[in-house]
Amino acid sequence: MKRLLKLYMARPELAGIVLLVVLLGVFQFRSDGVFLNQQNIRGVMGLLPEMGLVAIGVTLLMICGEFDLSVGSVFALMPMTLAVAMNAGLPFLPAMLLGFLVCAAIGFVNGYVTIQFNIPSFITTLGMLFMARSLTVVISGGFPPLLSSDIPADLFTTYVGPGELFRLSFFWFLGIAILASWLLARTNFGNWIKAVGGFQEAAAANGIPVRRVKMICFILCSMLAGFAGMIQVFRLGSPLPSLGEGLELQAVAAAVIGGTALTGGIGTILGGIVGALLIRVIDNGLVLSQVDANWFKFAVGFLTIFAVVVNAGLIAVAKKIKVGS
Amino acid sequence: MRLDKIIRQLGKGSALAALVGASLMLAAPAAVAQDEPLDVVFAHHSSASNPFWQAVKKGFDDACQKLSAECQMLFTQNEGSIEQQVANIQAAMARGPDALIITIVDDQALDQIVADARAQGVIVIASNVDDTEGADGNERQAFIGQGFVAAGHALGKAMAERFPAEGPISAVVGVSAPGQNWSEQRAQGIMEYLEEYKAANPDREVSIERLDTGTEGAVVADRVGSYLNANPDTTVYFDTGLWHAYVARVLADRGVPPGKVLLGGFDIVAEVLQQMEAGYIQVQVDQQPYMQGFMPVMEAYLAKSFGLSPADINTGTGLVYPEDVEAIMPLATQGLR
Repeated sequence: MKRLLKLYMARPELAGIVLLVVLLGVFQFRSDGVFLNQQNIRGVMGLLPEMGLVAIGVTLLMICGEFDLSVGSVFALMPMTLAVAMNAGLPFLPAMLLGFLVCAAIGFVNGYVTIQFNIPSFITTLGMLFMARSLTVVISGGFPPLLSSDIPADLFTTYVGPGELFRLSFFWFLGIAILASWLLARTNFGNWIKAVGGFQEAAAANGIPVRRVKMICFILCSMLAGFAGMIQVFRLGSPLPSLGEGLELQAVAAAVIGGTALTGGIGTILGGIVGALLIRVIDNGLVLSQVDANWFKFAVGFLTIFAVVVNAGLIAVAKKIKVGS
Repeated sequence: MRLDKIIRQLGKGSALAALVGASLMLAAPAAVAQDEPLDVVFAHHSSASNPFWQAVKKGFDDACQKLSAECQMLFTQNEGSIEQQVANIQAAMARGPDALIITIVDDQALDQIVADARAQGVIVIASNVDDTEGADGNERQAFIGQGFVAAGHALGKAMAERFPAEGPISAVVGVSAPGQNWSEQRAQGIMEYLEEYKAANPDREVSIERLDTGTEGAVVADRVGSYLNANPDTTVYFDTGLWHAYVARVLADRGVPPGKVLLGGFDIVAEVLQQMEAGYIQVQVDQQPYMQGFMPVMEAYLAKSFGLSPADINTGTGLVYPEDVEAIMPLATQGLR
């Protein structure tokens, strides 16, 4: 029993889950029962995949020991590239592939500059944040282009299932989350990611291709951000150049709330998803609780810090539990 | 025994979490419950740090107080974030409000959510920014706000009366939010007038430059300040918002005398009025934000209570000059102008 408890308490995502459950109760009470009604769940779950996909990418990269602050800009750049390409006459599939290629190129540049010149990824990707955002405005020409009617937006935006509770985007997100979890937990590559993030020198000494692992993580992170942006644009119907501003901080917060260590080596995909869901729940719950708008950011920040503090506390408590041999 | 202590600590921790969360929520002001009070949500695209929207909020709050309505204004966390605005609207709709007041800064992004709201019988009124196609482009029932292109044109024309009598004219238009209706249309109006001026004055060299300047005072000051460094012969800078007030500070810090670079823009806030008093800003367009917060609530009340159709209101393209500042300043500091 003690061993089980120690194992559960040492899971980095536990604090996020505990806080999620507590907040669900608080917001349900404060909103007079509206928070968990069908319409609101539909709304929250409809938006979760966009934030969740970015959080998955950022979580993977953070476990690997790096950051990517350009995800918010890539979030806008990919769908803008797709829209501009289609308006120029390219069919949907090639335009989408072009968009993903742009994301991969950005991820590659982020990784190459960080690794080759040995500079903190925080700085590299901070610069890329501005460059990618500017590129988005440049290729749009100032006005968001019209989305072509040939785009199969229904593949992502249609509501399905009993009570039409979930958009199809949720199932895309679920599939990618399962794939990412499997990659991290069940493959050699996943072990390499954790080893590189945990102790890079030891990983290299053990023959792990550190540069390749990091490069792949940077590229995956960018591509997931681009995919998430594409889903949001299909939902909104307009590839706005301002999409995703501030998303990078939310994604990092989601990863950390879910138990991913800022120093690398520790974290789970489930934790990143729980963190993303928590941020969505906080946003949504504060609106329904009619918290004064001027206190909004304060509440979001406070709850974010609180989640991380609880997480650290739980891990510290877990370490103190002595389990007999 | 040690395990029991740990579990007790955890239990306390969870209870503490619940208490903190609950007290945080309870600290928020709650509306007084009445028999079916009017329930209005105002969800726009701006953040709480934008002073213009505090004047709109004042009008909104005052109207709600007069009607004893249950009201909520939702700001975005990032300035100009349409996706956050849509998320806010979706959350608010779950409560089933009577009326929704929105800004339509993009012609597509809010179409579906407004259509869904109308299908649920919610009164929807656009305020401050409208779809560029008006009622043809969105199912909102009315628009209360300023005609942006006309306002930009009026600003350009008023400023042209202050151009130097001779010499080349170098005009810069700072587009605060590229791609957003309100900013692009104001810039369009200004540039249309400048092109007319250019055509009417073929013997003068008139250059028109467009810049992406941003919606944060420090960012705008930095970008435009750098441009003016590189282009010291600039005649006039137009901002599509109120951020030229920060450009005025940069000019003052550099010792550039007032009027050397003409400045003009939109919306009356205290910072702008201060710079008009100092002589750095020559013309400002007022769209009367208090009215943009006040009138939609009144129209929602009339629609809900008596079935009257909401109607468009032009909140004005009034031009404000330095000589008007003394009268307007007390109202601006109270959030009424």
